[in-house]
Amino acid sequence: MPTPVLICDDSSFARKQMARALPKGWDVDVSFAGNGAEALVAIKSGKADILFLDLNMPVMDGYETLATIRSLDLPTLTIVVSGDIQPEAQARVIQLGAMAFLKKPVAEEEIAQVLTQYGIRGIDRADAAPVQVEVDIRDGYKEVANVAMGQAADFLARLLNVFVLMPVPHVNMIDSADLRMALGEVAAGENISAVCQGFIGAGIAGEALLLFHESSFQDIAELTQYQGKIDENAELELLMDMANILIGACLKGLADQLDVSFSQGPPVVLGRHVMVSDLLKGNALRWKQTLAIEMGYRIENHKISCDLLLLTEDSIASLNTRLQYLIG
Amino acid sequence: MGNGSIELGELHWLLDVLQSIDVGLVVLDRDYKIQVWNRFMANHSGLPPQDVISKPFLQVFPDVPEDWFRRKLESVRMLKNRAFTTWEQRPYLLCCKNYRPITGAAEHMYQNITFIPLTSITGEVEYIGVVINDVTDIAVGRHDLEAANLELERLSRSDRLTQLNNRGYWEERLQQEFRRLKRTHGPGALVMFDIDHFKKVNDTYGHPAGDEVIRQTSDRLRETMRTTDIAGRYGGEEFVAILVDTAADGAQVFAERLRTVVAAQTVRHDQHEIRYTISLGVAEMHARIENPKQWIECADRALYEAKHGGRNRVVLYQHPVVT
Repeated sequence: MPTPVLICDDSSFARKQMARALPKGWDVDVSFAGNGAEALVAIKSGKADILFLDLNMPVMDGYETLATIRSLDLPTLTIVVSGDIQPEAQARVIQLGAMAFLKKPVAEEEIAQVLTQYGIRGIDRADAAPVQVEVDIRDGYKEVANVAMGQAADFLARLLNVFVLMPVPHVNMIDSADLRMALGEVAAGENISAVCQGFIGAGIAGEALLLFHESSFQDIAELTQYQGKIDENAELELLMDMANILIGACLKGLADQLDVSFSQGPPVVLGRHVMVSDLLKGNALRWKQTLAIEMGYRIENHKISCDLLLLTEDSIASLNTRLQYLIG
Repeated sequence: MGNGSIELGELHWLLDVLQSIDVGLVVLDRDYKIQVWNRFMANHSGLPPQDVISKPFLQVFPDVPEDWFRRKLESVRMLKNRAFTTWEQRPYLLCCKNYRPITGAAEHMYQNITFIPLTSITGEVEYIGVVINDVTDIAVGRHDLEAANLELERLSRSDRLTQLNNRGYWEERLQQEFRRLKRTHGPGALVMFDIDHFKKVNDTYGHPAGDEVIRQTSDRLRETMRTTDIAGRYGGEEFVAILVDTAADGAQVFAERLRTVVAAQTVRHDQHEIRYTISLGVAEMHARIENPKQWIECADRALYEAKHGGRNRVVLYQHPVVT
């Protein structure tokens, strides 16, 4: 009898990646869920002896799902598969009863190893058919962004010894006219400082824009144990440190997944202590439409928030080709 | 390059490129000892490779802030992540004196610096590459641009002859002050004055003499007012001043003092000795004034009365009393 396996992830791209990474020939009956609530229904109807569970999802996230599985004592073995790879995230899910934690993008050998380790893998069937999943390419952008964002959050978490809250990234095609509006929504009514850095490689190019909320400087200074007065210069230094970490790690995460390597231009301070509406004054935007990936970072128990936007105009074709490789 | 092994010949010209490229290249090992020091570094620092190779970087360059430097490099090593610093943040890593007597517009080289983790086969960061870019021309260009913008701003705001605010900018300031007073309900006064029989000065002594009279008048105004007051040249021989936080009596004292000072002075120009007077109108801010234009009209009305009352005098605008 095939093993009922449930893959729970809000991204169709991630669901397909996960289904592809299941060991070849493993006799399974795979179902899918888009969030924790759907997963619980499926588990109750016996569709999930094994559950592969994402953490960052709308409606009901992975943490809540794990807690519910435990409190209702539902019959499933959960393996968390997450882009959020902070040590703290791993510790939290294990505490909530997850059997194992796998980093996205997940590799076939790692799954096989976990399954073997826990003696789960039953009889192989040579004729097991590959699972079909419909994929929305926008979910692909979102998924690679999510993984890249997770790596950056992990860097920050390890460097500052904190837990970084990372919501699901937003992916949109926007007009140059919409950019100002989109920025306005990111940091409404608050003064910000911003750093830009260009990146290019293998037909993919764009610019990363880090918006740092003004009120965050004090807390960041404390966390980095910055010695001395927080003057203009110190703020610039802290801003650049954050930009180095978040932009650098995020681009590297992206590049690793897509199997490319980016050149990065020098960072440029776009504005300091300005309203977000004034940020792009004097920058003639020469493009019409761009792919915009927006990632918001918050640090738990601290007043620190910043937003990272990746904008890329002519890269869609190369990006799509490379995403196709990932899901075969 | 061929796959796998690099041939000796190739290695030779590859190293030659690294040596000759006009970018600073330094490689540091785990203990921050200098392993690579290319020609750019040697030439600009004045230290040949044999003087620095294998020596700890911070020992060779004690002026580099140690805390900052270690923090940067440790984060690069720990996170295996590139780090960038720009000249705006820190003008330079190593102070290199300007070497171009003609086109070098700065005291020292401005530098953008990139720290690159260099991983070994085991994936550990064994070395850190430091790339130093000379961005002096960009930095100087930016400084010049900022200075030019400031100067342009000043020029667009001031009157050529008197260096007082010109009418356009003064009116902007009036708007701001008016809004502030509406909000705070504090006192404020407007003084408007012009030179009596100015046409006669021009006709008798010529326009250069007239210009000198205007210049001297603006100097007396500047000397009499406080630095917080906002003065402007409103028209040919017409001047205005916003007296901040000043009520009617204070404004009258100011106007009277200015009138006396001007009447007492003698302007000398081309052997001519010119004496002249001014007439002044004063209008206090009032709840019934709805906009800056009305405020100016009040002061203008008082000035008109001063003229008709015989000139060389101060008139305070009387706000109508509501019964």
